[in-house]
Order: sequence, then C-alpha cells, then structure tokens
Amino acid sequence: MENSKKIFIVTEAILAVIVLLVSITMLREKSREKWDKVSVIIQDSDDNAWAAFKYGLRMAAQDWEIDMVVVGTGEKLTEEEEMKAIQNQIDLGADAVIVQPVPGDGMQSSLEKLQNRIPIMLVESSVAKRGIECNIPVVLPDNYAMGRALGEELQKDYNGNLKGKKLGIVSQYADSNAVTERREGLKAALDQSEIEICWEVSDISPDEKDRILESQAKADVIIALDDYSLTLVGKSASANSLYGALVYGIGNSTEAVYYLDAGFVQCLVAPDEFNMGYQSLTEAAKRVKNMFREPQSRIVSFTVIRRDTLFSEENQKILFTMSQ
Amino acid sequence: MVKIRNLIQKHPEYLKGLKPRGMQSVIMIAFTCISVAIMLILGIMMYFRVSASSRQEIVESSKTLMKQTGENMEDYLMSMRQISDAVYYNVIKENDFSSQNGNIQRGMNLIYEANKDNLRSIAIYNNYGSLMGAEPVVLQKEDPNVIKQDWYKRAMAEMENMHFSMPHVQNLFDESMRYYWVITLSRAVELTDHGVPQMGVLLVDMDYSSISRIMKQMNTKNRGQYYYLCDGSGEIIYHTRQMQINNGISSENSEKAASYKDGVYDEVFEGEHRKVIVNTISYTGWKLVGVIPYSVFTHGMFDLRYFIVLLILLMAMMLGVISRVVSVKVSSPILKLNTSVLEYEAGKQPEIYIGGSMEIRHLGDSIQRSYEQIDSLMHKIVLEQTERRKSELDALQSQINPHFLYNALDSITWMIEGGRNDEAAFMISQLAKLFRISLSKGRTIITVEEELQHAQSYMNIQKIRYKNCFSFIQDIDPGVNSCCTVKLILQPILENAIQYGVGDMDEEDGGEIKITGRRKEGMVILSVTDNGIGMSEEEVRFLLKESNRVPSHGSGVGLLNVNKRIQLLFGKQYGLTIESEPDEGTKVSICIPAVPYTEENRKMLDAGHPFGKDSVLDQDDANRSYKGI
Repeated sequence: MENSKKIFIVTEAILAVIVLLVSITMLREKSREKWDKVSVIIQDSDDNAWAAFKYGLRMAAQDWEIDMVVVGTGEKLTEEEEMKAIQNQIDLGADAVIVQPVPGDGMQSSLEKLQNRIPIMLVESSVAKRGIECNIPVVLPDNYAMGRALGEELQKDYNGNLKGKKLGIVSQYADSNAVTERREGLKAALDQSEIEICWEVSDISPDEKDRILESQAKADVIIALDDYSLTLVGKSASANSLYGALVYGIGNSTEAVYYLDAGFVQCLVAPDEFNMGYQSLTEAAKRVKNMFREPQSRIVSFTVIRRDTLFSEENQKILFTMSQ
Repeated sequence: MVKIRNLIQKHPEYLKGLKPRGMQSVIMIAFTCISVAIMLILGIMMYFRVSASSRQEIVESSKTLMKQTGENMEDYLMSMRQISDAVYYNVIKENDFSSQNGNIQRGMNLIYEANKDNLRSIAIYNNYGSLMGAEPVVLQKEDPNVIKQDWYKRAMAEMENMHFSMPHVQNLFDESMRYYWVITLSRAVELTDHGVPQMGVLLVDMDYSSISRIMKQMNTKNRGQYYYLCDGSGEIIYHTRQMQINNGISSENSEKAASYKDGVYDEVFEGEHRKVIVNTISYTGWKLVGVIPYSVFTHGMFDLRYFIVLLILLMAMMLGVISRVVSVKVSSPILKLNTSVLEYEAGKQPEIYIGGSMEIRHLGDSIQRSYEQIDSLMHKIVLEQTERRKSELDALQSQINPHFLYNALDSITWMIEGGRNDEAAFMISQLAKLFRISLSKGRTIITVEEELQHAQSYMNIQKIRYKNCFSFIQDIDPGVNSCCTVKLILQPILENAIQYGVGDMDEEDGGEIKITGRRKEGMVILSVTDNGIGMSEEEVRFLLKESNRVPSHGSGVGLLNVNKRIQLLFGKQYGLTIESEPDEGTKVSICIPAVPYTEENRKMLDAGHPFGKDSVLDQDDANRSYKGI
C-alpha cells in the first residue's frame, strides 16, 4: 500500500476513535446529570418533630443535587415493617438509605447485611447496644450528654437541693438506644442528688396516652426523654393534670417549644435536628458520588433553651428550622 | 541550528524519519494541516465568541430577573407601607381609643381582611408598650415585653420614618403552637386615648413567607447562580442556604455585597471567581444580590465545548477525505509521469506519460523530447567514437605500412650493396626517428616540432628513394613549434604530394615540396605546398568528401582521414583546406588551434576531450550518465 494511503487511513482511523471517545464522554456527562436518589425512613414521618430534620435533608439534597424521598410511615414501626420499607426503597432504585432504626434485637445484623448492597446511614440513634461494635455510620446527638444536661438544669433550678424530691421519667420507648443513653446521662447527673425516681413510663399505647400521666403518683419533677413524651407531658401540664409538677424534657417540635413558651415546660433540650438531617444526607451523598469513600459517623450539637432565652437570636434560628 | 546539526551528526538514524515524502503525502498533509489549523482557529474563535455572548446573556438575564423581582418586592413593600398609612391616617388618627374602639377595630379588620394573604398581624401599642388594638384578634402572650423589642425601640428612636425589621419569630400573640416568621414594619404614631394624644407604635407584621416566596421563585431552575436578599449592613434576610450559613456550613460575602452600589462586580470569594449583581430595593436599603459563579458559565458552555470539539473532529475527517481526493487528483498525472520516467531509467524504454493539466503535459512532452535528443546525441557520440577509433587504427596502420617499410629496407639493402654505407646509416637513422615519433609512447598529441621532425625524417627517406628528384624545404615560425598537434598528420599529405605531385618529376624539373608553419589569429597553420602537376577544382572538392572509394595508391591513409582526425579532436571549424591549380601545384593547409603543449593540455586532448569544451565522455560513460545509472 502506498505511503500516503497509509497516512490517510491511519489519520482517519485516529480521528474516528477520538470522535467516538468524545461522544462517549459527552453521553456519560449527560447521564451524570441524572440525580442520585436517597430514601429516608423515619418513624411517624409526618410528625412535626421531624420538621427541622427534613429541612436539613432538603437543604443537603439541594446542595448535593440528590433526589431525596422521605418515605411516609406510621406512628410506630416494627422491626419487620422498617426492614420491608428499606427493601422497598432499594427495589425502587434508591442509591442510599437513611434510617432511623426502631428498637429491635435483629436490626443490627439485618442492616449490616443490607449495607453490603447499598450505603446505609443511621440517624437519631445507633442500632448497637453500648459497648458493641457497629459498622453502620450514624449521625446522632450526644444522647448521654443531653440526658446529663437535663439533670444539670434541674440541679441548677433547685440549687442542687433535690433531696426528697420525686421524679417521674417518661419516654416513648423503654429500650431504644437513644432513650437508654439519655436516661443514663440523666441518672449520672442526678446521681448525688438523692432525688427519688418514683416512676418511669414508656411504651405508651395510643389509647392510654391521654390518661397515663394522670394515673401516676404525684411527682415534683417530670422529665421527658424524647419529643413524643415531652409533648405528651406538656399537654397534660397545660391541662393541669400533673399536680403542679415541673417539666423538663428533650424535644424538637414547635409543640415542645410552645409548651416551654407557655410556661408548662421549664427547660427544653433541643438537639440540632437540622444538622442531623443535613449531615446524614451529606454523608450518604458523598458515599453515593464516590464509592470509595466510607461514610463517617457524626455527632450533632444540642441547645438548652429556657423560656427567657427562647427568642434569642440563636434560638430563633432553631425555631426557624422547626417551623419549616 | 548548530545544536540540531550536531544532533543529526550524532544520531543519523533520526534522519531516516526525514526522508523526502511523496508528493501526494505532502499535498495531503499540508492541505489537512492547513484545514485543521483553520478549523481550530475558527472553532476556538467561535467558542470564545459564543462563550462571551453566553456570559453576557446570563448576566443580562439575571439583571432583568433581578430588576423584575426588585420591582415586585418594592411593590410589595410599598403596599405594606400603604397599609400602615391607611391604618394610621384612616383609622388611628380619626378615632379615639376610649370611645371609638369599635371603629378602630372595624377599620383595622377591614384593612387586614383585604390584605391578609401577605399580612400576619396589625397591632398598635401605646408608649408604655400596652396593646391598644390588634388584628386579627388573638390572645396576647403573657409578657411580650414590647418596649424592649427592636422594632419598638427603632420606631420610637426615629419617629419620622417607617422601619423594616429583620425576619424574626412573631412572639407577641399566642398562635396555638405555631411560630410565624415575620418582618415587622413599625412606625411611631400619635394616638388619642380618652381625648389625650400620646405616642404609640403601629406595627404591621408582614409574612416572611411572602418575601421568601418571591425569592424562591427567583431561585428556581438555576444551575449554580443564586439570589439572596440582605439589609444595608449585609445581614441576610433571605438566602437559599440560609441555615447552612447560620450553622457555619456555608458562608456568604454579604457584607461586601451590601457595600456595593447597584451594578455588576467581579469578586473572588473563598477561592471562587464569581460575578455579583447588586440591586438596591428602594426605601428599605435592602440589597437584592445575584451571584453567578464562573463555574456556571463553564457549565453552560459544557455542551457547546463538546459540540465544537465534535464539529472540529468531523470537519477534520471530512477535510482529510477531501484533501486525499484533491491530492490524488493533483498528483496523479505527476506520479504517472514519474513512474514512466522511472521505468525509462530502469531500461524498459516505455513511452513517457503525457497527460493531466497543461503544465504537466508540457513537462511530459519536454521530457519525451529531451530523451529523444539524448538518444540522438548518444547515437552520434557512438558513431564519432567508432570513427575515431577507426581513424586511430588507420593511423597506426600507416605507421607500419609494410610497403613503405619494404621500400625503405630495400633502399638500405641497395645502398649497402652499393657500398654507400654512410647513406645507408643515414637512412636507418631517419627510419628510426620516424618510428620513434610514430610511436610517441602511444600518445596521440605531440608538439608541432616533433611532427615536423617526423615529416623531415619521412621526406629524407623518400628523397633517397626517389633519388633526390625533388627538394624539401621547411619554413617554420619558431612560435608554432611548442604547440600541440595530432601526430602523423603531415606524413599522409607529404605522401600525396610525392605520389601525385613531384614523385614523377625529373631532377631537372625542380620538383619542390615546402612546409610552412605560421601562427594566425590563435591558430597554427601548417601548409604543404608542391609544384607538381596539380588538380582540377572538381578533384579538390572530391578529395575531402566521404565516399566509398578505396585509395588505390599511397599508404591508404588519405587526406580525408587526416581531416577527420583533426575535426574529431579540435572541432569542425578546424581541418584541411586544399588549393590546387592544374600544372601549377597543390597547397594543403592544416588548420589547428594554437594550444600550448603542456602536460595538462596534452592529457586532456589525449583523453579525447574536444578542444574548447570542459569535458566529453567516452561512449560507455555517456550511455551510463544519460540513463541515470
């Protein structure tokens, strides 16, 4: 074959290969424009307590260009229902799942198995009991420190003189990791106070939630360890059903803030739910966009709010996220 | 250049890649390179042009959007001010709170109902911070501590102005577990209670969601650029990433933006280049800020970049094909011509290709004609060489003419027998001289002097043989002796002079043969003159013409041969001239160039180089040279 013909064929072939490569790159870039999908499974997803969390999720989704879906769930999920919901989302094409784990012994192993297929981020609390190693990353507030902060606020209000005072503790679940840690923190703070824990209420069924607190013995102080219980206690306080007990609690809904604003709650410890939502989705998004990046566990802050500081500039920002 | 030369000297293998390429490749490569270069330049220029106009378009569309949104927002804020004015001038100023509270409530209700989509509440506080009236009618919180609130303090501090607060939680009324974000428009008012005028503050709480809705609309469908609202000090009122900024996750250069006047600015914030468009909202001093990171421009140009690259590549491919076709079309006749020349050079002797464009046809034609001329010249050279050799052979033969030798030896024998030993010895010595010069170490070129010596020896021998029946005279200019001549050119002439001129004459007849040598105009003219019987003009003409006649007398080396030898060596302009008159005698003149006898000239002439030319090749060399072997 003559020399010029060779040059011609080789040049045309090289150009054709470059055209092909450019076209492939172009199509790839186009397909990249399709957003990744992250599903969020939380209990009682429509509850106001999740407003700030969902706002955080939305903001992170916007920043990371993620198609975020919050799965609609009922008030109380069982372990099986939650696993089924996760499976459903995977089948529907979710690239990562953010889960608020329900209490259950099998959750850790089930989620760890699923983690091999799809990135999973936990929020609110871990699935593993204290001291047990868990590989699933989690974004949560320091539950122990929040419980401890509640106890310390109580001490402050009574100038450390809690001797003989009666304490009632309310929580949504008795065995959730979050509540357990908060309780431990609270007890640690009140350890030397000689306060008497006269009752503890948890796992309240919907039927009895309006009457259960009335039926308890009179307490001087009632501490609610989660938003659900705090609104329940606040509501009872507003109905004067608590025999004048002072209420302290952990909450993150406008209802909880309202009870504080209205004076039915003395002190509110509010976890930074916005950040929890933002950070969890950010970690999931980073993992989805870079498969070699391991998601990191994160601890978000919390704020102690009193009635007189409720409308401070900083606390208004917290209120802003709750109102979204 | 020196470096390149050194490199080439050190690594000659690099030169392998620099072999001269075929014409087709050169045309194709050159055409493709030029085309691709033009395409690249055009592509780059097009990209920059489109890129610049696209940037301009993005900035302009952002400015337009901001202007429209700014106007909407101004309208909205204006309507809020009008509401405030309406409440103040139509309701508060017209009524006394103690006696006409119903009118006030009705008036406020009317205004509130007409604007409740954008309003959260209207309230009037007196100078103690007590609520005088509010719409909608809701329960006031237990102790809102109004006079310590910012909006109240500002209204009382600057009574002549209306004041827009920053977004905040509405914390005056019990909104049944809901906390609304509002922007408070407050102003100091003069109200009448129990007939006593007193100062108070009128508050109009605008729903923050109205502002955020306007801003959200602005921020939809943007790919990287965003718009935010801040007050005159840079405090953010609305931002798409407001909470991220509040939480320190993100940040915004709002303080600097607030210091800008309306316009478009370039800035670098946290390492990111961006364009900032600032539009001031009138009365409030708020700044509507549009931020366009430069990445938006590049992202917008992403498709265009690929498109231009693909276009360039496809055009390059197409131009490659076109250049190939053009180069083949252009070079094909030349290549065919080249092939035919190569085949000719290889000895296949084809016809030279004549075709293609006019110039190439002309070239082919010229080459064809050149080859034909070369063939003709070659043929001529071959013939000349053949003749020269033949002449040389004839000259050699003349040297050893057996008849002449027999006669000379017979004469010597006769002299010895007659006891004329001295004469015999003289004859032998003359014979020896004759042969010495004839041989001349095989050279063809000798001096004129040697040639004359040879002629003298020959004539001495012939005189003895012819019993001195004629005389022999030499009249030579000394200047001609040292010139070059072809050897043995006089002997045939002398032989003819004896044979046909003076040989048959008696001693008494006074037969004479005279040789004269002269230099004239750069030439040497040697003339042999006899006073023999002479020739007619016709016979003279016949002497120097080619013919198939065989010499019937003499040595066999005729005048024609001498003439040819001279012309072969010195050129056609030299040679013999014969002048003769019957019964008067004959004069044969040899005309040769006056070439000084030097070793160099002799070698050149001996080698057969014709006089007056730089070089002439012999027949084999000439053949090889013209066929390019």
